[in-house]
Amino acid sequence: MESPVQKVEAENDQLLVDRARLGDRHAFDLLVLKYQSRLLSVVSRLVTNQNDAMDVLQDTFVKAFRSLKTFRGESAYYTWLYRIAVNTAKNYVATRAKEAKDVSFDEDGTSEALALQDIAAPEEEAGAEELQRAILDTIERLPEDLKYALTLRELEGMSYDEIAVMMNCPIGTVRSRIFRARDQVIREISQRFPGTFSL
Amino acid sequence: MTETLRQSLSALVDQEATEFEARKILDGTKTRGDLKEYWASCQAISSTMRGEEVLGTTLLDRINAELDGVAEAKPIIDAQQEVASHVTFLPSKDPLPNRYAALAGQLAIAASIAFAVVIGVKVVAPVDTRGTVATAEPLEIIKFQMPVQRETVAVEGMTSTSNINERRPVARILTEQDMKQLVSNRLSPYLIRHAENTAIIGGTSVLPLARIMGRDEPIE
Repeated sequence: MESPVQKVEAENDQLLVDRARLGDRHAFDLLVLKYQSRLLSVVSRLVTNQNDAMDVLQDTFVKAFRSLKTFRGESAYYTWLYRIAVNTAKNYVATRAKEAKDVSFDEDGTSEALALQDIAAPEEEAGAEELQRAILDTIERLPEDLKYALTLRELEGMSYDEIAVMMNCPIGTVRSRIFRARDQVIREISQRFPGTFSL
Repeated sequence: MTETLRQSLSALVDQEATEFEARKILDGTKTRGDLKEYWASCQAISSTMRGEEVLGTTLLDRINAELDGVAEAKPIIDAQQEVASHVTFLPSKDPLPNRYAALAGQLAIAASIAFAVVIGVKVVAPVDTRGTVATAEPLEIIKFQMPVQRETVAVEGMTSTSNINERRPVARILTEQDMKQLVSNRLSPYLIRHAENTAIIGGTSVLPLARIMGRDEPIE
């Protein structure tokens, strides 16, 4: 059974999906930004290589955009996207496995294809890890009421109503606290990592 | 970006924005890139807190590049396919009787609509002939009540030798016979013209309802 949070999420996605279906690429961009990290976690379990996972993810979203007209809203948009991602990843793995049989090995016994894998720039990976650490540090240093509200929302998936009950405050205060928490993190990160976050 | 707008966007990230706010933000993303960047930043915080990898806009740029690349080449093909799948051409060897039957049907429909309009106008706004005559008569009476001032007759031999511009016609009082003649002369052509026009237009003539009679004739 769908939880209230999931139901609200599905309804909100529907607005973005409706816009995207009408050709609004900006609405589709917001959907990509919303689900890309979550889907990457899914795809990475099937496709171990980071570059391949990114390729699969790219294919997933391109397919999703092209078949938006077939999405009838019977399931949540993320569920529909999830199925596309899993199928794309499975097909990708099968194709690569078939290709691997045809690849010739050099004298060292190292496949050319394998040699091209895992070239993800270590600087980029280090940068991403540093950014994530900085975000978590900043959240840790937030005032208690802001941190509590943001955590309940992000990690517990609570709605503003539920958080208001938990924190014994009006719903408007919850909304304001979560906003101020995010705004403070973004402000601090954008100063420490120029060009990463923007206000 | 204003604080209100950022707060609305934060609420939209949590699916807690009102529909008005959501539409305002979605409309804003078409012209303002900073809205999308703020959205990406909020999503990055969410991903980090959930232990997911932060991707930023790198993947989005790749997706858009692919979609734009496809969009440049594909619409022409798609447009042709659209035409091919939706446009239905008439068969070139369609039997003629069917075409004439269709044309006759259209004409029949047009004729019946025109007939209905004519009947409708007659029923809804019939020509009130009595009203027309009633309003016309007083005018004529007024016109002929003062024949002395209006009808002047120049008498021969009364012209002066002065300049013609200074010539004044001498008026005389019309007799009853003159009045009858005058009325007859004026009214008869009018009624005949009216009857002719009515015959052409198809309305009801005044003539069958009117009768010219002298003052000395008894009213039946």
